[in-house]
Amino acid sequence: MLVFTRRRGEAIVIGDGIEIHVLRIGRDGVRIGVAAPDNVPVHRQEIYEQICAANRAAATSDAADAERRAALEAQLIARLK
Amino acid sequence: MNETGERPDSERAMVTFPQGLPGFADCRTFVVFAAETGEFQWLTSLEGPAASFLTVDPRRVVPALRYALAPADLVRLRATEDTPLLWLAIVLVEADGTIAVNLRAPIVINPETMIGCQVMPQRSLYPVRHVISAPAV
Repeated sequence: MLVFTRRRGEAIVIGDGIEIHVLRIGRDGVRIGVAAPDNVPVHRQEIYEQICAANRAAATSDAADAERRAALEAQLIARLK
Repeated sequence: MNETGERPDSERAMVTFPQGLPGFADCRTFVVFAAETGEFQWLTSLEGPAASFLTVDPRRVVPALRYALAPADLVRLRATEDTPLLWLAIVLVEADGTIAVNLRAPIVINPETMIGCQVMPQRSLYPVRHVISAPAV
């Protein structure tokens, strides 16, 4: 991992078009501004990892199996009534 | 017939997810097709690890649901404020039979460009695991 010392108002540039600015430094936190192109999603790590975990838990690998699909659908229909 | 099932290609719409799905970064091309029963859609990856997601219109679960897309999301979808978008929430069927829906990060598809993404607003009123049904006892 690259490690930098930055002061308030200074920034880091990543690749072409991603800038990370140090806006404010507090006792327990640093306020950071991120400027990135629209095709680069930016997320808080804990939220991103939570969504990754939720997607992995929800993915089924056997949906090509029509019977398995029908069983899942039937469960859902019964509960949505 | 095709490799993912028994229905013709014409009933299966291909959607591109340029950023992949979180946790499935290698899955960028999906087919979306209506479930045989009910108002659900299947989202099935055509590349990377085999992955299918059962999804439901989040407004079917919470009719008063309100989402605001960030400007960057609209750019990613190549949509405008007026584009009618398809919203899908991923359904999770847990081992004990609990059924939950991910309302925190819905999938949004622009039917005009067939581009999709899973949106994760900075702040959301809705949980990742919105339980719609506890297991029957």
